[in-house]
Amino acid sequence: MSALGAALVSADLLLQGGVVDLFSGLVGVVLDGLSKAALFVLIASGLSLIFGLMGVLNFAHGSLTMIGAYLGGVVMVVAVTGETGGLTRLVLFFLAIAAVFGVMTAFGAAMERTIIRPIYDRAPLFQILLTFGVVLVLDEVARIVVELRGMQPQSDWQAALGTAPDFLAAWYEIAGVSIRGLYLFEVLVGALVVTAIAAFLTRTRYGLYIRAGSEDAEMAQALGIDIRQAFTVVFGVGAGLAGVAGVMLMWDPRYGASVPLGVETLLIGFIVVIIGGLGSFKGTVVAALLVGFTDATMTWVFQNHVSFPGLPEMVMFLVLVGVLVVRPQGLFGLAEVGGH
Amino acid sequence: MYGSLIGSPLGDEFAVLLPRVRTMIAVFYVGLFAMSFDFVSGYTGYLSFGHAMFYGTGAYLVVMAANGALPLVGAETPFMTLLVVAALLGAAFALLVGSVSFRLTGVYFAMVTLGFAEVAHVFIRNWDRVSDNPRDGAAVTSPDGFAIGVPGVEDLQWSIGRLVGDSVENAFGLGIELGTAELSYYLIGAVTLVCYLALQRVLHSPFGRVMVAVRENEDRARAVGYDTFRYKMGAFAISGAFAAVAGALFAGYRRSVAPSSTFDLFVTADALLASIIGGFGTLAGPLYGHLFHETVGDMLTTESGGLARYLRETLPESLLTADVAGMEVVAVVNVLIDGRAELYLGLIFIAFVLFVPRGLLGTLRDRLGGTVAEAAAERLRRWSP
Repeated sequence: MSALGAALVSADLLLQGGVVDLFSGLVGVVLDGLSKAALFVLIASGLSLIFGLMGVLNFAHGSLTMIGAYLGGVVMVVAVTGETGGLTRLVLFFLAIAAVFGVMTAFGAAMERTIIRPIYDRAPLFQILLTFGVVLVLDEVARIVVELRGMQPQSDWQAALGTAPDFLAAWYEIAGVSIRGLYLFEVLVGALVVTAIAAFLTRTRYGLYIRAGSEDAEMAQALGIDIRQAFTVVFGVGAGLAGVAGVMLMWDPRYGASVPLGVETLLIGFIVVIIGGLGSFKGTVVAALLVGFTDATMTWVFQNHVSFPGLPEMVMFLVLVGVLVVRPQGLFGLAEVGGH
Repeated sequence: MYGSLIGSPLGDEFAVLLPRVRTMIAVFYVGLFAMSFDFVSGYTGYLSFGHAMFYGTGAYLVVMAANGALPLVGAETPFMTLLVVAALLGAAFALLVGSVSFRLTGVYFAMVTLGFAEVAHVFIRNWDRVSDNPRDGAAVTSPDGFAIGVPGVEDLQWSIGRLVGDSVENAFGLGIELGTAELSYYLIGAVTLVCYLALQRVLHSPFGRVMVAVRENEDRARAVGYDTFRYKMGAFAISGAFAAVAGALFAGYRRSVAPSSTFDLFVTADALLASIIGGFGTLAGPLYGHLFHETVGDMLTTESGGLARYLRETLPESLLTADVAGMEVVAVVNVLIDGRAELYLGLIFIAFVLFVPRGLLGTLRDRLGGTVAEAAAERLRRWSP
């Protein structure tokens, strides 16, 4: 009875508040959803590439993102002073992305050569275990370094957040909705990265190797492709992309550079990659949009109707569970990838 | 035993190396949790990455029941009953999660169980019935300890807990004196032992054989006529039940729960570490694995008796203030050793996955050519006249 009453009251409110509120609410959700989808695709694309070719689910992906966030933060905090202009900061930001991508790619390639390579022959379980061990080590190393610098590893790195130019940190009014400039910028960066990866996959020789290797690694090898080298390159690029996602998150006040960022982004990455279908880049992009809009909608519902703070996260995981039940291989995944 | 070693001339060194009684209690309940994890993951080959949710279920049940926050199980429910309720609840949740998750295999199974655990984690962090501030968990408000013992016999029940536990001055008239820590140790140890024997019994039954068959070749097990889905569900339910019992023991002893100590991914990681180090697919292995974990943790703790404190007190002053790459040795000790167990455990864990995939107990069994008990008996027999 009370539920019916509440429904009647809210319907009443909707009529009184008019269509304008509903419209601005919708615009807000769309903008928020787009910015989140852009972040999610950044977080998940590296994970998706690696799994697609190698069948390795890299648990350390989130930790690589976290380290990328700190590295990007270091570049910005060192290079930016109070007088640095907005445009210069933007240029520095893209330099930081390039630098972090380079460093993390090298790190990922080294990681593949030393510890991932020996376990390709073993059950998929061992790949999970091994990369999870890397999580433990990387998180603790990050904690040690951060504490050595006299900072708090659990909370966001405020100095890095402060290096964002004013015109991105400011709020803008769009169709009656105020949105932070940074969130629109994220959509731009996300679109850029998606375009770059798509071009890499379809226009370059390595992209061809990866697509061939994802279809059938043995056949590709038989045709003369050095699949081992391709593995190293792809693992490196995947790690590099994780680093790029970290640099973007370092500026975002909803995330920020901190050690727990690793697990937070890892879980998001899993949700997106699995819903999209492990190994399908198109699936990853679609899933990022789906999960981003789910997150945005549920955040709006929480802010306006339901007093349960964990709602967006919980619904995201429920979407994951639902998709896995209906379509275990994900929206665009191939059935045989990832099983035993 | 412990007392005599600590009292010996090398007492300082033993204090660094040996686990304390308080640590051993944690070895029991986390060890039981790790065993339940290994029971399903190590024997059926399905990696239950969200196992912490069952542990957390048991832990929250105890604290919330004691605070009167739950229907049906009121604040007056005896602890032994709570253990049984926890087991039933854990099994029920496992069946619920398993009915969805066992449609999948391999990596996907690990992912979806992790997904369920995260849903539970988010839920428990925001459920206002837990306490006023569910993000920080809840504590038992009543001053009474949780009693373990023979149900219905008032004289054979003792309370566990660091502060509220009972102590016995003259156990069974044998002149043995047990402090609160020692008594809790034996009581929790007894429950763990009973659970271990029960799990061991299942593994040695025809049911356990089928579990191993699922791990080795599920298609073949199905081909010879076993309904593997039902066996997997059964194994998962048993595993969930004992994980919940372990969580209930944890909550009964610590008397407070927090999301980070129960439902967190890193709680599952503890079971994972223990299983891999101790021996994946050996039931007793995880207990030793966690003993190893806690011993390393104890050595690198910031509290007294740790390696850092020992080095600071034992090394000569000149060495402590000497420079290593621009830093004083004492600073290096503080940064690299004090409370850094996770780092070294992570490295050890990676080394085990790469080089010792069968773990301590598994490798030992490979060397001996059978279980330790069998091989030891065999050797003794050879030496007897």
